[in-house]
Amino acid sequence: MTIVAEGSTGTNENRGGPIGLLLVALPVFLVCWLVIWPIISAVMRTLWLTSETGEKRFSTETYQFFFSDPYSLSNLSLTLWTTCVCALLLLLVCLPIALYLRFSTSKVAAYVQGLAIFPMFVPSIILSFAFIRVLGPNGTVDLLLNAASLPKMRSPYLTPWGPVIGLVWDNIPLTVLILLAGLGSVSNQAIEAARDVGAGKLAVLWHIILPRIVNSILVAISFAVLGIFSAFTLPYILGPAAPELIGPFMQRTFRDLYDPINAITQAVITFGFCIVFGLFYVRSVAKNRAP
Amino acid sequence: MSVLKIKEISKIFAGPVRAVDNFSLDVADGELVCLLGPSGSGKSTLLRMVGGFETPTSGVMTIDGEDITHVPPEKRPTGMVFQSHALWTHMNVFKNLAFGLKLRKVAPDEIKRRVDGVLDLVGLNGYGTRHVAQLSGGQQQRVALARSLVLEPKILLLDEPFASLDQHLRERLREEVRDIQQRLKITTLFVTHGQDEALSMADRIVVMRDGKTEQIDRPDIVYREPQTPFVAGFIGTMNLIEGTVSNGIFSKAGYSTPLPVSDGPAILAVRPEALDLSVVTENSQGKVHRVTDYGSHGLVDLELLDSTRIKAMVSHPDLFRAGQGVTLAPRAIAAYRGNAVIHRA
Repeated sequence: MTIVAEGSTGTNENRGGPIGLLLVALPVFLVCWLVIWPIISAVMRTLWLTSETGEKRFSTETYQFFFSDPYSLSNLSLTLWTTCVCALLLLLVCLPIALYLRFSTSKVAAYVQGLAIFPMFVPSIILSFAFIRVLGPNGTVDLLLNAASLPKMRSPYLTPWGPVIGLVWDNIPLTVLILLAGLGSVSNQAIEAARDVGAGKLAVLWHIILPRIVNSILVAISFAVLGIFSAFTLPYILGPAAPELIGPFMQRTFRDLYDPINAITQAVITFGFCIVFGLFYVRSVAKNRAP
Repeated sequence: MSVLKIKEISKIFAGPVRAVDNFSLDVADGELVCLLGPSGSGKSTLLRMVGGFETPTSGVMTIDGEDITHVPPEKRPTGMVFQSHALWTHMNVFKNLAFGLKLRKVAPDEIKRRVDGVLDLVGLNGYGTRHVAQLSGGQQQRVALARSLVLEPKILLLDEPFASLDQHLRERLREEVRDIQQRLKITTLFVTHGQDEALSMADRIVVMRDGKTEQIDRPDIVYREPQTPFVAGFIGTMNLIEGTVSNGIFSKAGYSTPLPVSDGPAILAVRPEALDLSVVTENSQGKVHRVTDYGSHGLVDLELLDSTRIKAMVSHPDLFRAGQGVTLAPRAIAAYRGNAVIHRA
């Protein structure tokens, strides 16, 4: 008995030993240096402004400006609209794909999975130009419509729908993979048991499958929203000039208007919105791990 | 009155693998029939076809004369209890049981009455608000049984329901399930690979091998009068000694016994409890290899002269020692040639 007790104590000591601390020290240091410190620094710089005389003073004027400026607000509302529409479309597109991949026994499922994951390996810039070539003015769709003697369609290029289509396409692989992982926890027998007591396909989806993967849906949406809210390349190339999404707006404020303080303010506000979705993600993960 | 008729059912999977091969069975009203066989014998596939989860390649199934061969599971008058319980972990016990009734749009008062009634039947009164994860394995299996029973199915299907439980719980639950089945007089098809379960619960046993029927009989007949060497070897412990018959004498490596059949190869089948042993110092027919004392009885492992191993059950294991020579005197034998019985005495 004594030996066992000593052994287990030794294991616990090892877990908290210097090697363990050293192993986590580097990532913790990097997170603090590259993530935590820039956040604190950004918040400080936007709240303690330097006056023309060089003295520091506490002020919320940059935030007041952002929330009173109609252009900034329309950019924020366009970003929120784009994020919500993308999240909804992603769910509508990816859930059927994930359900098909999870429950199909057909050989076609492997090809569908390959196609669904493919956009993950296509850089955003290539995706953007492919979008322009296909859906842009005089793109493939226009040419096909012209060949069929049909009227020209109104291109989504440089409209709010441009970034929506691109961002949805770009986020399909990760969303499908997360939903697919969640669906892995729904056993075939649980579904068969539901069918056995009289549940049709829709009832199985609504009462058995969706309640079991609600956390995965939250995680997938949180991930997608975090990426979409602060996306740059796709909104920059495909989106309208004005109003614009917060990513290009931030870049333009910094580069073209030479106004770093307002650009940082926009970044802090973006961070504020993202952290809400981040907390959703953390809550979902914690709920998943709960016994 | 619920009668299940299975007529010439076959199931061929891609490969092609013939999982069930031209299988026929009639299950009478209120009867409990066990499908017994080793892994891969097709018993679960057959049960899943009755439940509607597999489509037969050919054949017909009827319940009370109504063809159910291509009816989807949600529209069949069957209730299935799965090996892994398959309870919905996001619902509590009451919701698990009420789910099927809600789909049938039963009134809430009636749902409560029926759920309470069935919980009482399986001995889980007052467990309605418990979460599934808070229940033990045995309790979960009772909830799974209750979930099927609450819908009052015409045919109850049990797919190795006790496989994940420990021996003690398994024995207790099979008695309870048998009691409930007899009280409700519900026609039941029960899949198991445990011969104890089949022998103790079934009205009739169907022994299956490679998708085909080896024997369909009452448990006592399957045990005492197995129709094939496979059934003889699968049900209980059986010594199967392959030898030859010449002039009415079966012989195998120094052991011989009268066997009034035509000359040729034969398999002699003797149960360990029907084999008497006598310790001898010369002209022995076998040698004691090991003696195991089980308290109530002993089991003697013997080696014939060509090292063929057989077993004998003895009431006084302390009389035997490893290395002793013995003679064999079977009290009841059966003999097989090919897949047929040629003699029983």
